[in-house]
Amino acid sequence: MDHTADDIAAAPLPTSKTLRARSSLVIQFERFLAINLKMAKIIRKEHH
Amino acid sequence: MARVVVLGGGVAGHTAALHLTRMLKRSDEVVVVTPNSQWNWIPSNIWVGVGKMTSEQVTFELGPIYRRKGIGYEQALATAIHPEGDATHTSPYVEVIYTDPTRSGQHGELTYDYLINATGPRLNFGATPGLGPDGHSFSVCTSGHATQASAALKASIAKMKLGEHQTLVVGMGHGTCTCEGAAFEYAFNVEHEVRQAGVRDLADIIYLTNEYELGDFGVGGLTFTQQGFQTTSKLWTESLFRERGIRAITGAHVTGVEESVVHYEQLDGSINTLAFDFAMLLPPFRGVDLKAFDKSGEDISAELFASSGFMKVDADYSAKSFEEWRAEDWPRTYQVPAYPNIFAVGIAFAPPHQISRPRKSPAGTVIAPSPPRTGMPSGIMGKLAATNITAMIDKGDAVQVRSGSMADMAAACVASAGSGLRRGSAASMTMYPVVPDLQKYPGTGRSVKDTFGEIGLAGHWIKLALHYMFIYKAKARPGWHLIPE
Repeated sequence: MDHTADDIAAAPLPTSKTLRARSSLVIQFERFLAINLKMAKIIRKEHH
Repeated sequence: MARVVVLGGGVAGHTAALHLTRMLKRSDEVVVVTPNSQWNWIPSNIWVGVGKMTSEQVTFELGPIYRRKGIGYEQALATAIHPEGDATHTSPYVEVIYTDPTRSGQHGELTYDYLINATGPRLNFGATPGLGPDGHSFSVCTSGHATQASAALKASIAKMKLGEHQTLVVGMGHGTCTCEGAAFEYAFNVEHEVRQAGVRDLADIIYLTNEYELGDFGVGGLTFTQQGFQTTSKLWTESLFRERGIRAITGAHVTGVEESVVHYEQLDGSINTLAFDFAMLLPPFRGVDLKAFDKSGEDISAELFASSGFMKVDADYSAKSFEEWRAEDWPRTYQVPAYPNIFAVGIAFAPPHQISRPRKSPAGTVIAPSPPRTGMPSGIMGKLAATNITAMIDKGDAVQVRSGSMADMAAACVASAGSGLRRGSAASMTMYPVVPDLQKYPGTGRSVKDTFGEIGLAGHWIKLALHYMFIYKAKARPGWHLIPE
């Protein structure tokens, strides 16, 4: 029995505040820098 | 003087060739053999597949780059390796058939001191009857395929604008496919385009996958910390599917594709059909058709290649149960044990086993994602082979070579969920290591600190920046080698 449809229906739905944050230019610019830093750290780990 | 022949001009092979020419002496020679004249930044093919980019924006001609860098270039298909030479050749060599228009169909031979097999996959559409652009579904594996998919999607959207309902199926065309991330991206990009076109209510979008559960991505899923809780990629992905109204069918092995109907078997044993108006289903991969012969001319292909056609390297290929799998099973140097001057990197090396737990249907059908080894890991392996070959040429074959197992390798990936500088979004993810190491990281097999995921517009900007950055790097522009793999 494939429970995927039930699992999707029960998954947490982002609030409108979360959705706004995901597309806010100011917040996302800060996230752009933060995610790049995180990735740079991972890449540094990889190359040393 | 040494000659290094690189088979394949994709991410792994091209990366290896560029680093080799940078690291080796001028008297050494690097030759790339690849049947395609173009390099393709494959991660952006999904944008070609929805009409957001053109084929020309994701490809470029390799010839001028290789001429500028002093790399030998043979537009040809490698057909056989002779790692010991033969009665008429004292050196190892590769047989090729030329594909460039001036020598098309002609046979040739290229001797080598070191060989890198970075031939990538053969797109095995034939494994599923009716699958692929020559059948009844589309693909985004090449920029040409993606262009076809884009035209078909556009036609579907046009029908929706006329009030016609459309069922759009995106996913995996076989139970052993890899690259679930690419299908995930395409499903969400299709949803994004349909929404932008104002006809979302007329589209039923279905993600059909061989993953046991959503968020597996062929790496057994991820666990990471978010807002003070450990969460899973399963829950995270399901949330995105709910938000965007995309249905999903998991644990599926597509058995055939007919005009407007896909047939599939699921892990629960059910046999099902799904009617569609548009389908993009990725093919399974297998190794390219490459043979190997010893000095006497005897076929030794079975010793060098796994049954999947991928090349066997320094991995532990003994049959083991999932519980017995260890990080140490994975190759460290990508050298062929019997021929240490041959390396296989990227998709071309045979993985010792899957990363996700393999499962079978009651009828015995294997429905298990194959391990992804594209993108960042592919580039890292290419550079590793180049570094080790350079050391072997400079200091002799007995030199201690560097290792880079996928069980000790990090990966950063950005999965697009829609294109657009203001309205785009993507899931940014990192994982360390790619292959879980339960001995080192009990519980999840990965460092929770170094594994994360986040969805938002910033991810789209990062993916777009990576597009331009990696094409710049692949074109070997000034400072290219400072851009990490």
